[in-house]
Amino acid sequence: MIRKTCANILALVFVTGCSSLGRKVAVESMVTATSGSGQSATINAAFAAPLVATVTAGGSPASGVMVTFTAPATGASGTFAGGANTATATTNANGVATSATFTANGTAAAYTVVASVSGVPTTANFSLTNTAVRASMNYSFYLSGLEAADEGPNYYALAGSVTIDTNGNVLAGEQDYNDAVEFTSPQPSGDTINGGTLTVDATTGQGILTLIANNTALGVSGIETIGVQFVNSKHALIVQYDATATSSGSMDSQTLPSTLSGGYAFTLSGVDPDYFSLVAGGVFSISDTTLRDGLVDVDDAGVVTLGNQFRGTISAPDSFGRGTITGTSIASTLNYYIVGPEAMRIIDVDPDGSGVGSAFGQGASAGTFGNASLGSSVFAVESNSWGPSYAAIGMFTTIPDGGTYQGVADNDELGTRVWTASTISGTYSIAANGYGALTIQNGNLGDVSALGIYMADQNLDLADPNSTTSGLGGALVADLDTNLNGTGILIPQTDTTTISFSGNYAFGGQDYNGNTNGEFDFVGQGSVTGALLTANGVVGDPFFFFNANPTTDSEVTFSGLATSDVENLGRYTMFAPNPLVITVPAGSPNDFQVIIYQASGGQLFWLDEDSDSLFLGPLQREGPLAGLPAAGRTAARTKRKRNQ
Amino acid sequence: MRHLFAELCASALLSLISALPPAQAQTKTVETTIAGPLSYDASEEVTLNGVVSSVLTKPSSGMIMGSHLLLATTSGPVDASMGKFGLLGAGAVSVAAGQQIGVTGVMKTIKDNQVFIVRTVKVGGEVYAVRNEHGFPVSPQARQRASGKTSGGTL
Repeated sequence: MIRKTCANILALVFVTGCSSLGRKVAVESMVTATSGSGQSATINAAFAAPLVATVTAGGSPASGVMVTFTAPATGASGTFAGGANTATATTNANGVATSATFTANGTAAAYTVVASVSGVPTTANFSLTNTAVRASMNYSFYLSGLEAADEGPNYYALAGSVTIDTNGNVLAGEQDYNDAVEFTSPQPSGDTINGGTLTVDATTGQGILTLIANNTALGVSGIETIGVQFVNSKHALIVQYDATATSSGSMDSQTLPSTLSGGYAFTLSGVDPDYFSLVAGGVFSISDTTLRDGLVDVDDAGVVTLGNQFRGTISAPDSFGRGTITGTSIASTLNYYIVGPEAMRIIDVDPDGSGVGSAFGQGASAGTFGNASLGSSVFAVESNSWGPSYAAIGMFTTIPDGGTYQGVADNDELGTRVWTASTISGTYSIAANGYGALTIQNGNLGDVSALGIYMADQNLDLADPNSTTSGLGGALVADLDTNLNGTGILIPQTDTTTISFSGNYAFGGQDYNGNTNGEFDFVGQGSVTGALLTANGVVGDPFFFFNANPTTDSEVTFSGLATSDVENLGRYTMFAPNPLVITVPAGSPNDFQVIIYQASGGQLFWLDEDSDSLFLGPLQREGPLAGLPAAGRTAARTKRKRNQ
Repeated sequence: MRHLFAELCASALLSLISALPPAQAQTKTVETTIAGPLSYDASEEVTLNGVVSSVLTKPSSGMIMGSHLLLATTSGPVDASMGKFGLLGAGAVSVAAGQQIGVTGVMKTIKDNQVFIVRTVKVGGEVYAVRNEHGFPVSPQARQRASGKTSGGTL
């Protein structure tokens, strides 16, 4: 190793030494910005990801080379760990040098951090932005699950947008709720959110959001209680958390673009007017107020129709990022809530049908997709709360030229059969507009055999649309089988090393079980150290799965030991004798046999594959929590030490 | 969401006769392999007649999820799976031990046991739908909506 490092240094010296003899040094040796550019951080807060530069010599990685990262000495800038505006890092065997944590200073503006190598004339630039602390922030959120109220269980969906000030006060908002039975927010106004409170533990990012709506039929006399688990300051996993309903979703800081345009991929999951589960997925593009070039696949209670064309009209968003999509064949009216320029949540607000999902922009990739757009990936799909209950996750590698893939996957079709580490293979195709399909052959994954694939911007993190640094690319997925249906996500698999599955994680899960014929949902946070997860969270449990507190449980503990599947790197088991154990206060421990698939160290999915229950959810590495509303207010019910 | 099947069929028909650009007429093939326990092939349906020996709103050990009827038939005892909502909520199957009933569905082997996946139940002249022709469970809400209809839907 030392010998190789010295050789690389000598190579650099040789090449740069030759520069005086007229050789093209820039071609022979160079430093490039690999990742970390384009980030924003609130003033005085750490950036989410380090700055990563790659040094090559003669086209090959140069290891053992010192890279100097230099931030501006004055004005908007920042400091590396230790407080200096410069830092050095040495390249590894891949020629990669990773900076120490970089923290924004107190001046808001854009600037450049330069990475340089002695003797190499080229430098690499990292564009960074320090953003000012705002008096308030807007968040958009969405959820779906099972409603216990309204003579339930009923399926229900909820989406909205709220303004929250730095003290955690909910100042205003709008939302649309729809159970397609009786509780459908009035249209076109939706419900008005007049108040509420966000209370968050500043250290763990865990807390409670209450929303006071003008619709007293919802929640408890119009007050909806939502458990939140911030993954970073801009992204939270959420569950509705009161006696009336349980559901899972996410909440993300909202940035309204000047206009919506370009290609989009989308999926929706809900119930049709006959109250059977229905999923839809496809692509469309937006030009001014016209939604065009739409193609949608539909699985309506097992009746599958593919590639149906549609058009529609999309209204301009209001100040909460809420607008309408009408004239499509999908629903009479879909409302949308913008997350950002390339992400929106969509909800069916028709009184006789309901559904919720996402639409993600395709960015510069629109019109240029192909089979090569889909590489090594991890996928996760789950039925909604009303369909035949199942969830499946897996990973595969592709051969784009042949349109084939192979991999491994797990599937739990609740109460009937579990497929564990099943070998899967088949064909796939992706059209230029991102509309595609993947077939799992030979029934190797039970009833899961036909997936619609809808490609999104390869620079977008579908699990955290405000993130620009990791987990980028992928597609939305609709399961279009005749015996079950569901929706999910597919993201590139970039790192299967077990060492990467370590640190602090936020997580969630939506569980369907036979014990209650119902659902519970949870979010939490904790650490993974030596593959051991130790965490705390909250559970929404209005159908009495955990007996101790029949409706809502905070201070719930989670623990489990992940064992790497050496035959399928990137796959882990939390099986007996070290299963995932969830324990509610004053309750008995409940064991869950869990499978984990790793897309990267920052993004994983887990699946409970018990015979009488299943859950699917994400595990996402926690980022900086600085700048959270109400971060100074510790939630008494969720106060605990960080698990590290 | 709308009755997408019916509407999209109409939409697809319209699209065939309209002059939309050929580039939009994309097609894709999704092969469906029926292999799993949730698969339901209506072409394999049979009808069994028997006497209800037990009504189980929750499954016993070893049974698949949902409610069950244990039937005594001329061929022997049958575990009839009534699904998630068969015996639950408004419009649920009204049946008691000792009653003669007819069940239409598909016999499958799940968890090493023979289980009859019921699509419809006939009790005293009344026919109840438990699942649709693809095996999707019929919920109380779905029953309520179906009973209020003047014409049939797509399901």
